[in-house]
Amino acid sequence: MNQPFLSIQNVQKNFGTVKAVSGVSLDIYENEFFALLGASGSGKTTLLRMLAGFEQLSGGDVQLEGTSIAQQPPNQRPVNLMFQSYALFPHMTVAQNIAYGLEMDKLPKAQIKERVDEILQVIQLGHLAKRKPDQLSGGQRQRVALARALVKRPKVLLLDEPLSALDKKLRSEMQLELKRLQAEFGITFIIVTHDQEEALVMADRIAIMKDGGLLQVGTPQEIYEAPETRFAADFIGVMNFLPVTKDGDDFVMANGGLIKATRINAPVLGSAVAAMRPERLAIGDAGDNSVSGVISAIAYHGLDLLLHIKTDATDALIIARMTADVVEEHNPAGGQQITVSWSAKDTHILPA
Amino acid sequence: MVERNTFRLMLLILGVVFAFLYIPISVLVGLSFNESGLPTAWTGFSFKWYGTLLENDDILRAAGNTLIVAIFSTVFATLLGTFLAIGVEIRRRNGKWLETVIFAPMIIPDIVLAIALLSFFSLLGVKMGLHTIIVSHVVFNLAFVCAVVRARLKSFDWSIIEASSDLGSSTFTTLYRVVIPVLMPAILAGGLLAFTLSVDEFIIAFFTAGAGRSSITLPMQIYAMIRFGVTPEINALATIVMSVSVIALALSQRLNKGGLPGQ
Amino acid sequence: MSSDRRPLLLMSPAILWLFALMVVPCALILVLAFFRRGIYGGIEYTWTLENLTLVFDPLYFNIFLKSAGIAGLSASIACVLGYAAAYAIAAMPRRNQPLLLFFAVLPFWSNYLVRTYAWIVLLNREGLIVNLARWVGYKGELPSMLYTEEAVVIGLVYNYLPFVILSCYAPLSRLNPEITEASRDLGASAWTTFRRVTLPMTVPGIATGFVFVFVLSIGNFVTPALLGGGQFQMIGNLVYAQFLTANDWPFGAALSMVLIAVMLGLLMAQAVVAERASGAKEGQGNG
Repeated sequence: MNQPFLSIQNVQKNFGTVKAVSGVSLDIYENEFFALLGASGSGKTTLLRMLAGFEQLSGGDVQLEGTSIAQQPPNQRPVNLMFQSYALFPHMTVAQNIAYGLEMDKLPKAQIKERVDEILQVIQLGHLAKRKPDQLSGGQRQRVALARALVKRPKVLLLDEPLSALDKKLRSEMQLELKRLQAEFGITFIIVTHDQEEALVMADRIAIMKDGGLLQVGTPQEIYEAPETRFAADFIGVMNFLPVTKDGDDFVMANGGLIKATRINAPVLGSAVAAMRPERLAIGDAGDNSVSGVISAIAYHGLDLLLHIKTDATDALIIARMTADVVEEHNPAGGQQITVSWSAKDTHILPA
Repeated sequence: MVERNTFRLMLLILGVVFAFLYIPISVLVGLSFNESGLPTAWTGFSFKWYGTLLENDDILRAAGNTLIVAIFSTVFATLLGTFLAIGVEIRRRNGKWLETVIFAPMIIPDIVLAIALLSFFSLLGVKMGLHTIIVSHVVFNLAFVCAVVRARLKSFDWSIIEASSDLGSSTFTTLYRVVIPVLMPAILAGGLLAFTLSVDEFIIAFFTAGAGRSSITLPMQIYAMIRFGVTPEINALATIVMSVSVIALALSQRLNKGGLPGQ
Repeated sequence: MSSDRRPLLLMSPAILWLFALMVVPCALILVLAFFRRGIYGGIEYTWTLENLTLVFDPLYFNIFLKSAGIAGLSASIACVLGYAAAYAIAAMPRRNQPLLLFFAVLPFWSNYLVRTYAWIVLLNREGLIVNLARWVGYKGELPSMLYTEEAVVIGLVYNYLPFVILSCYAPLSRLNPEITEASRDLGASAWTTFRRVTLPMTVPGIATGFVFVFVLSIGNFVTPALLGGGQFQMIGNLVYAQFLTANDWPFGAALSMVLIAVMLGLLMAQAVVAERASGAKEGQGNG
C-alpha cells in the first residue's frame, strides 16, 4: 500500500468531561472515497470538523502528506468542507458563491471566471449562474455547495451528511453522481453519514464509529460480510442473531441444537451470538443449520418478502428474505409452522 | 469557534458600551444619596434628599397627578388596545391604511402630536386639564398595548376558539373565558408598558395640560426644575422615577417572556 | 370566525379614538398651516401659502439642515456603537445573550428627561467630569461641554443607542453560524468574512436603527432644549416656540408639516430598502 495521504493519529476531543472523540487513528489514502459511518453522537461530525479546522484537537495529530495540519486555522488548510445546511451566501449569486473561494486564493479574474464556468458545466447549472440561492431547489443548492468547495481543488474534500436533506429519489441519483465526481476530479473525499446504505454504495472504505471511537474499518464488502462486532453487524443491513454458548469447539443454542459456523470474526469468551443475513436463509432443513418456528408476520416489499419467524429454540425473532418465485412455490402464511436453514459458511459467531 | 483575541475584543466592546449606558444613570443614583447633593464633594451617605422630596408639596401633587393620569390612561388604553389587537388579528386581511393608522402613534414625533392635540382642544374650546392629558396619553398607549398583544397573537392557536364554539359557547363567552385568559400575560405586559410610558411622558402632557397649576405632572415638574432651578432633591426624584420604570419593565418581561416591541 | 362584523366591532372603539384624537388633530394641523397668524395671536382664517414659503426661507431652512445634520451624526454614531455592541452580544455564549440584551435595552425604558439630565450633571462646568479632571490634577481651564452641539449629539446617541443595539441584534442572532464557517473554510480571514459576509447580511438591522434614530432625533425637543441651551434651536424647539412664545400657530403647523413630510419620505425609503434586502433573510436557518 502506498503512504497514507491523510493520517489521523490517536485524535482526541473533549468537551469538558465529555469525550466526543477518543483515541481515533485512521489512515486514508489518496483518491479514496472514505465514509465515516455512525449514529448521532458517535463523534463522526466532531472528527470531520477537526479535520476542517473548526474544532481544536484535545490530543493527537492530523497529518496531510506527512505534515501536521492540526494547528492550521481553517482558512489556511488545503481542505474544504461541504456543510450539511449548505451554508450558501444568500446575498451572492450562484456564480459569486462559487467564485468566492477562488477570490480568496487571489487568482486573476479571468482565471476565476474560467474555473467557475467550467464547474458550472460539470454540475449542469450554467443556466442558473446569476440566480440567488433562495431561487433554487434543494437539489440545486446542494450542487452549488459542492461546486463551491470542489472548484478550489482541495487536497481533501469533507462532506457533512451531503444527502440528508434530499428526497429519496434524488438521494439515489446523487449517490452515484458524487461517486462519479470523485473519480473524475481525483480528489480524496471523506463523507460523514448515518445512512449505512449510502456508505455501502458510495465508499471505497468505511469506518464505523460508536461513542467517539472506531469500531471497524474496511471495504463495504468486508463490513457487510464480516462484521467484527454485534453492533457493526446490526448497524449494517439487517442481521439475525441467535444466542449461543460455546461448548468445546462447537456452539449450542438454548435448546441444545448445534450451530456449525466457519466464520468466527472475533475471539469469543463467554456468551455469543450466531449471526446470519436474512437472504442466506432458505425454507426447508437442507442446510448445515436449521431452526423451526411460527411465522409471526409477513412484510411484503414487492420484489421480495420478509418472513418474521418466532423460533421454538430461543426467544429470538429471525427474519428470512424470500424472493417472489420461492414465495409462489411454498405459499407461506401467518401462523404456519416453518423450518429455515442456512449453511455454516454464512454463519458468523460474534461476542454477544 | 471564537478565537481568544476576538473574545477579549468583544468583552472590551461590551464593557465600553455598558459603561457609557450606565455611568450617567449611576452618577444620578449615587448623587441622590450624597449628603452634600453636589458632584463636587462626597460628604457621606444620606437619605436626606428623599426626605426633602416628601416635604415638597409641588412634587407630591405632581406625583399624584401623574399617577392619576397613568392609571386612567393605562386602563383605557389596555381595553382599547387589546380589543383592537384581537380584532385586527382575527380579520386577517387588513388594509395598509389600517396598519398605518395603528402604527402611527408610535412613529409620529411627540411634539407634532402634542401641538396637534393642543390645536384640536383649543378649536373645540375644551378646557384643558388632567382629563385632556389622559385622553391624549391613551392615543399612543393603545398603540403600544396593541403591538404587544398582537405579537402574542401571532403564535396563538386559533383552533381553541373553534373548540370553544364547538362546545357550545357564544362569541362573548369565548372571548371572556378562552381568549382573554390565554392573552392575559401579554395584556398585563402591555399595560405595564403603557403605565411606564405614561409616567415618563413629558411633551404631550406639557401641551395638553392647560394653564392651571393643578394639572402639572411629574415630568413637567422635573422639566421645570431642570430648566429653572436645580436643587439636589432632583437626583432623588430621578432615582425614584427610574426605579419605577425598571420595576415595571422587569415585571413586564417576566410576565410576557420578552414580548416587547422590537424584541 | 364566521362573521366579519365581530372583529370590526372589537376594533372600532380604538379606531374611533385614534381617528378622533390623532387623525383629525393632524389633519387640523395640515389645514392650519395654510392660515395666517392673527394680529393679536389668534388665527386669521385667510388662505395663504406664506407660512410654507417662510419655512423654506434661509433662516428657517438652515435650522432644518442643522437638525438633519445633527440627527444624521447622532444616527451614525449610534449605529456604529450599536452594531458593535450587538455583534459582541451575539458572540457571547447563547445562554447569556438574553440577559445581556435585557440590560442593554433597560435604560431605554426609563424616563428620558432623567437620562438627559444625567448628562447635564456630567457635562456642566461644576459637573462630574470637570470635578474628576480636577481631582486627577488637571489645572487648566476646561472648555464648557454643556450647551454645545456636541452635548446634544451625545444626548441623542445616549437616548437611542439601546434601540439600535436591539435592531442590529435581531439579524445578527439569526445568522446561520455555518455561513461564517463556510467563508473561513473557503480561505477568508476573519476580517474578510466580516466585511463580505456578515456585514452585508445584517445591513437591514443597521438601516432600521439608523432611520429610527434619525427620525426621532430630527423632531426631538427635550434634548436640544436641555443640553443645547437657550440659543440652540432645532426644529422641535422651533415648533415649540411658535406655539408657546411667538404664538404663531400656523407657522408652527407649517414647520410640523414639513417635518412629517421628511420623516415619511425616510420611512418609505427604508421600507423599499428592506424589501430589496429580504433576499438576505434566506440565509437564516437552513441554507
